[in-house]
Order: sequence, then C-alpha cells, then structure tokens
Amino acid sequence: MRKTILNSIIAISLGLSASAALASGLSGVDAAKDRQVHFKEMGKAMKTIFDQLKSGAPDQSVIKVQTALIADHAKALPSWFPADSGPSTGVKMQALPVVWTDKAKFAAKAHDLQIAAANLNAVAQAGKTADFMPALKATGDACKSCHETFRQKDPD
Amino acid sequence: MILPKSGAGEAETPLRPVRVWDLPTRLVHWLIAALIPFSWWSATNDHLSWHRLSGYVMLGLLGFRLIWGVIGSSTARFSDFVAGPPTVIAYLRGRSGARRIGHNPLGGWSVIALLTALALQIGLGLFAVDEDAIEAGPLSKFVSFDTGRAITHWHHQIFWVLVALITVHLVAILVYALRRKNLIGPMITGVARLSPSLTAPALASRTRLIIAAAVAAGLTWFVAHGLSFKP
Repeated sequence: MRKTILNSIIAISLGLSASAALASGLSGVDAAKDRQVHFKEMGKAMKTIFDQLKSGAPDQSVIKVQTALIADHAKALPSWFPADSGPSTGVKMQALPVVWTDKAKFAAKAHDLQIAAANLNAVAQAGKTADFMPALKATGDACKSCHETFRQKDPD
Repeated sequence: MILPKSGAGEAETPLRPVRVWDLPTRLVHWLIAALIPFSWWSATNDHLSWHRLSGYVMLGLLGFRLIWGVIGSSTARFSDFVAGPPTVIAYLRGRSGARRIGHNPLGGWSVIALLTALALQIGLGLFAVDEDAIEAGPLSKFVSFDTGRAITHWHHQIFWVLVALITVHLVAILVYALRRKNLIGPMITGVARLSPSLTAPALASRTRLIIAAAVAAGLTWFVAHGLSFKP
C-alpha cells in the first residue's frame, strides 16, 4: 500500500516535471542549442549589415531584413534561457551561470537590447539614414554590454 | 657594447666596429617587439580599434621586412641567411668553418619561423570577426560569419605559437649572452666589434629604402581598406 502511494507520488512528480518541460516547449539541452543558433543568426545579421555598409553601396532592402530579424530575436531573447538550460545541461556554452543567478540584471540588459533593436529596425524601415549609424551603434553596445557580464570571453 | 677582450680563438685579434644591422632592420625589429605585446594587451582589454591599428602597422612592417629581405642590406637578405639543413647541422656541431657577419644558419631559420608565424597571425586577424560582428578585420567581408569566427579562434591559437617562438628567441639570446656573445647591443646600435678578417655587410641605398617603404605602405593601405584604394 505504502509502495503504491510512493509510486503514485513519483509518477505524479515525474508527470509534473514533464509537463513543466512541455510548458517551455523544449528540454534544457534543446533550449541551449537553439539559443546558440539564434545568437549566431543575430551575429550573422549584424555582419551582413556591416558588410553592406562597407560595400559603399548598401542595399537597404537587405539591411531591413536584418534589422527586423535582430529586433524579433531581441524580443524573444529572454525566453531562450529557461532555468534548466544552463551549464548543467552539459552543452558547451559561453553563457555564464550568472545569467540564471542574477536574473534581474540579465532581464534589464535584455530589455536594453530590445529597445535599441526595436529603434534600429524602426529607423531602418523608415529609411532614416541619418539616424541609422547611431541606432546601430546603440544596438551593438547593448550586445557588448550584456556579453561583458553574462558571456564567457572567447578562450585564448 | 662590451665584448670580451679574449674570445675563444680570437685572443690576439684586434676587433673593429662593423655596422651589422642597418637602421630599417633594427627599427622593424623593435617596433614589432613592442607591438606584439601591445596587440595582445589591446585585444585582451577590448581596445579593438587600437588592436586593428597595431595590426596594420605590423602588416606594414612585415611587408617592408619581406621586401627588405630581397632588396635590402646584405645581412637583411634571405639569400644571406637562409641555409640548408647540412649547413645548420654543421653549425650546431661547431664545424661551420669561417665565422660570418649576420644571422648564423640556425638564427636564420629562427627569423623565418618568427616572420611566418607573424604573417599567419596578421593574415588571420584581417579576416577575424568577434561574436557580435561589431569588431572585424578589414577583409572579413570576404568570409561568412561562421568562417570569420573560426578564423578568430585560430587567431587566438597562433598567438601562443608566436609566444613560444619568441620564448625560444629570448632563450637563444640568453644562451649566447652566457657564452659571452652580446646579441642585444648590435640590434640596438647596429654595430658589433668583429674581426677585421670578416667582410663588412653591404648597406642598401636610401633609394631602395624609400621604394621598400612606399610599396609596403601602399600595400598596407590597400589591405586595411578592404582591398581598395578608396579611404
């Protein structure tokens, strides 16, 4: 009898944790891997913008696609770090544990990026070329500022 | 510079001052010696604008040194100091025959190794991209984000190869110092006191210097602007 109760408790708690995982939609490992894909997409988008600017004849339509991607990704960014997607997943990552321990600061940094990226996209879509460079710099600074605290530097 | 009055086997020979290294060679050497630590420091402390600038200066210095290795003063020329394995082995066994001015057969290969590692390091840096693609080398537009990131990884690795080679270089200088041969003095002043039996190096003309410097500077400008002469 006791065993049955214990088993039910185990079963229920397993079920609960499974549904918790389902709620976030992904296992911690998958979330960590997806997150890295998304960050690389943002890096690629930034590079595409800079390459366009360096080309001397930037293609506005290409830049608009990139700023939209960056703004969308920035919006989703806080959801990429569920509690179970940290270093304990065993996934090779440069996200530091402080992401999950100093949640308030991390959220504030993510918010800074969301504002900068939304502004960058608005400026790009409206074709306000004079405002583009400052908006791009603000977005880049938001990336960097967060990385300083929450991302491990590239190893030497 | 003080050389021992009684070097092995040369006790009775009066020495005379000889210009072993010309000014351009010494300047290139010491600027690179200063800029490698500076590049490391500026990269480590996120001063990427200075890091890029330092890399450009070294690209120019390296370009100059390679040209100087062909048209420069005799002791700077590759043909003067790059020797085949038999010569290097003979030197190591102390059977190198007559003493000569300039790099010895082993030191010549040390120069080649250092210049190769430096060229590789500068070359990789030109294509490097940081994680947010904000800081990037002038040629990064020719590679994808992923390739640029991989190159950055190698840029970090090669630095330690460079550090290893520099360490060997410094240890060699120390070994020669212990054997009472001062290599640092002549690299500063250009002058060594050597036996009169040795032929003094032929110094390259000012015209050659101007040509080498102009070509190196132009090439650096072209590369630093993403293979373009437009600023």
